[in-house]
Amino acid sequence: MARIRLTQVNKIYRSREHAVHAVKDLDLTVEDGEFVAILGPSGCGKTSTLRMIVGLEEITSGDVFFDDQRVNDLDPQARNVAMAFETYALYPNFTIEENLSFPLEVRGIPVDERRKKVRDVAALLRIEDILDQRPMALSGGQQQRVSLGRALIRDPAVFILDEVMSHIDAHLKFQMLFELKRIHRELGKTMIYVTHDQVEALALADRVAVMSNATLQQVGTRNQLYHEPVNVFVADFIGEPPTNFFATELDPAGDQPVLRAKEAPLTFAVSAEHGRRLRESGRRDFVVGLRPQNLRLDDADASEEQAGGTLTAEVAVNEYVGERTILTLTADGCRFRAQAHAETAVGQGEKVYLRYASSDVMVFDAETEALVA
Amino acid sequence: MSERSARLVRTLLLIFLGLWLLLTLFPLYWQFITAFKSAAETNRTIPTFWPEVWNFGNLTAVFADPSNFGALVDSFIIATGNTVASLVLGSLAGYAFARFPHQAGGENLAFWILSNRMFPPVAILVPMFFLFDAMPWGTDSYLSLIILYLVFNMPLATWLMMVFFRDAPRELEEAAYLDGYSPLRAFVKVTLPLVLPGMISVAMLCWIFAWNEYLFANLFVGTNVRTFTIVIPTFTLGSQTLWNLQMAFSLIAMVPPVALFILLRRYMVRGLSLGVVKG
Amino acid sequence: MARLQIEGLCKGWDFPVIDRLDLTVEEGEFFVVVGPSGIGKTTLLRLIAGLESPNAGRIVIGDLDITTLPPYQRPVAMTFESYALYPHLSVFENIASSLRAQRMDAAAIRTTVTEVAKLLRIEALLDRRPGEISGGQKQRTALGRTLVAKPQTFLLDEPISHLDAKIRHELRQQLRSLEELRQVATLYVTHDYAEALSLGDRIGVMGRGGLIQIGSARDVFMRPRTLFVAEHLGQPAINAVAARLADEGADMYVRAGNSGFGFPVVAAHAAMLAGGDRAQITVGIRPQHVKVLRNGEDAPGHHVIEGHVEIYEALGANGVVVTDAGGVNLTALTSLDRDFEHRQPVRLALQTDAVFYFDSETGSNLLL
Repeated sequence: MARIRLTQVNKIYRSREHAVHAVKDLDLTVEDGEFVAILGPSGCGKTSTLRMIVGLEEITSGDVFFDDQRVNDLDPQARNVAMAFETYALYPNFTIEENLSFPLEVRGIPVDERRKKVRDVAALLRIEDILDQRPMALSGGQQQRVSLGRALIRDPAVFILDEVMSHIDAHLKFQMLFELKRIHRELGKTMIYVTHDQVEALALADRVAVMSNATLQQVGTRNQLYHEPVNVFVADFIGEPPTNFFATELDPAGDQPVLRAKEAPLTFAVSAEHGRRLRESGRRDFVVGLRPQNLRLDDADASEEQAGGTLTAEVAVNEYVGERTILTLTADGCRFRAQAHAETAVGQGEKVYLRYASSDVMVFDAETEALVA
Repeated sequence: MSERSARLVRTLLLIFLGLWLLLTLFPLYWQFITAFKSAAETNRTIPTFWPEVWNFGNLTAVFADPSNFGALVDSFIIATGNTVASLVLGSLAGYAFARFPHQAGGENLAFWILSNRMFPPVAILVPMFFLFDAMPWGTDSYLSLIILYLVFNMPLATWLMMVFFRDAPRELEEAAYLDGYSPLRAFVKVTLPLVLPGMISVAMLCWIFAWNEYLFANLFVGTNVRTFTIVIPTFTLGSQTLWNLQMAFSLIAMVPPVALFILLRRYMVRGLSLGVVKG
Repeated sequence: MARLQIEGLCKGWDFPVIDRLDLTVEEGEFFVVVGPSGIGKTTLLRLIAGLESPNAGRIVIGDLDITTLPPYQRPVAMTFESYALYPHLSVFENIASSLRAQRMDAAAIRTTVTEVAKLLRIEALLDRRPGEISGGQKQRTALGRTLVAKPQTFLLDEPISHLDAKIRHELRQQLRSLEELRQVATLYVTHDYAEALSLGDRIGVMGRGGLIQIGSARDVFMRPRTLFVAEHLGQPAINAVAARLADEGADMYVRAGNSGFGFPVVAAHAAMLAGGDRAQITVGIRPQHVKVLRNGEDAPGHHVIEGHVEIYEALGANGVVVTDAGGVNLTALTSLDRDFEHRQPVRLALQTDAVFYFDSETGSNLLL
């Protein structure tokens, strides 16, 4: 068990030609037993952050605390962290049982205790029936579980997972995410998960830390990131299919301010509270974000009457993807997406009406890109 | 590890490196100063560690017999000729082993070829002499040593080129086939540039071996062809060895390989560009 | 006419990977082969490309029988899963590769390459090396190299699976709209079913030995020929329940689990199932057809059963609830704005007219 705290952590990689500031002034706390995901695109600094927590990289400035103990100068072994890697790194010549007991053997744990621990971990990961096989004979998912098991068997204070899902087939991913969540629930360990896939992060973690360009953009629960993204980047990165963005201008005339898109005949209505905030900001240019799930085809499911508005557009593409349909719509050249029922039969070129609730409209300042409403 | 023991280890390491450096550089240093000493100074019972008088004349004295310069040229011809032959034959064989291991005879055959490099050269000295004497190229010719040195250089070239070809991703050649390149054109366009740094390293190894070879050169050639290695022992006056001239001549003989290395170093460092074919 | 025809294709090593495969891809068609990793999709592409030779069978493009032709003589272009870009050449030279092979003149090459680069939005990178550009850019370069060759068949091997989600969406759009791909036969391979459904004019689901089902997106998703097809398309995977059919009064019922899980079979299905094996079948219900009802909500036309929540997870655009209903685990899809507690009792509405029935041994769909 451990509570991990990073205060003002910086990492600068220096070479002869230039210096790369990979992590800037990072403040992050992972509570004891919490599952936190560090999410971001390639090059955002998440791997460097991870390596500093584990002890594989030196911390340029700032401190890392494990339960109030400053661990900056401690080697990875001394920090009691275990790490599972993207490439499973299993010993091909050993059986699964031998692979699992290796970390204990290295520490001089007696045979009986080792065997018991291996059985416990195998039971937890549901791999008891493959203990006598070699890694080559196993599927990707099974190898993944063995790799997790080998990290868990040491009973570390913190369990770190680095992009472990990259090589799992799409239709098996949910199963594996599910397994990881179950393991976390049963063990109650502090877990840190690093990934670039927001679907994984939001499915697994209690809280997600979104990073971009070496800076922490936002830390929050799934709901917070989804409904209250702190800026355009977070709103864009979180959500599948990707969020729609429109460049708009505030039209303050009338008692209900609206936002008019600059390059399309689209108008967005906002709630009274948000409208007031926009007017008071004194700014004119805003970016509107609207998730495809929040655009509903008119005459579908009119169960909730909410304050909102309608967008008129033409269907450009009808993408049937099994469980749902993704519509790409165009209004005078401006393209955006909406999610609809799987049986939606609108054809290309058809004119449709899309309703949205004003509470789902996210408004960002055009310059700072920060959330205004 | 604590701070103090880390420092201790570092000091011991420095001492060890210092001693090692001394050991390896000493012969070079001795060669250098001897090359500029007078004959009398080299014969002193108590040696001097710095020439009292710098005899730069030694460098020209070694060419008093003008054919000595020709010896350097002969060595160059033989070394370069053999390197080209070893590389061409070795690359062809290495490519076959890398891309078609089954048809080429398998790893066992490749290793047997390499093993030919491992026996003491002197074992074949006499049989080879008689064999070459019966051949149209005889023993005392350029071709003789060029072919002879293949015995030692070609196995090495084959094995190393096999390894380098294995490292060049097969998929790149396949992509070239689909672009419309025949196997030969694909090899030239895609594979060759990727193994070029490796090839240059192999070339250097082969060239250095041929350049420095003395045992076979001594027995096989001497009249029509002379290598610099057999010229060095000729610097004597009766039964007196003229160490200073021998050192001067070997100093001069060091120049071509060092120059070659400096010239080709740039190409050896530029390795295979990783990151273009995913893991 | 550039139609791709494959007849009786066989390829195997210790065991058959491809066993008597037949396939016709029409000119202008975008055909997607979808299946799990390692099943043989790449082998199929390599056979068509000429990088592997088949044990038996014929491959014909248009009027040309290419079965015995070496790869550099086939009118085929391929993008590799690993991109296979030439590391020592610039992006420009990579794209121009096939044109140089044809010994086109320099001016024509420059125009063609710049055109394709503009289309794929990589014209600013033409002087860079593959080692200096990002994954998405490498992908577009590889695609450019293929497009420029103007072949009679395009082969695309998992071109976007290793990219970030956002770039994947973008490239999917681009692939859909590329006119060049619509002029000849295109064969696209992926393990991602959503990608397959979105892109393909027709989709072939590949299983052990060959294509198990070929059809439109709706065909393969809503009318799967076997349990294998149903399981491999859809996330989360379809609920596959071992059950039996029982006549209860005038109706046929599905019974499973140990505490009374069951629902009535709709009349149309019952007619087709009558007379078959009743003791053991596999019932397939897609998670999207299991609705978790809100308080007071009703679902006409659905059969409602009781259960309780085991786990609730968010997954992309939906919430996923795993429930225990009468001893049977059912996964359901919900919207993201719901919240559930462990062991919370729920009412599940099953859309019984969308249920599949599979033979428990062969796995084939009993309704087809």
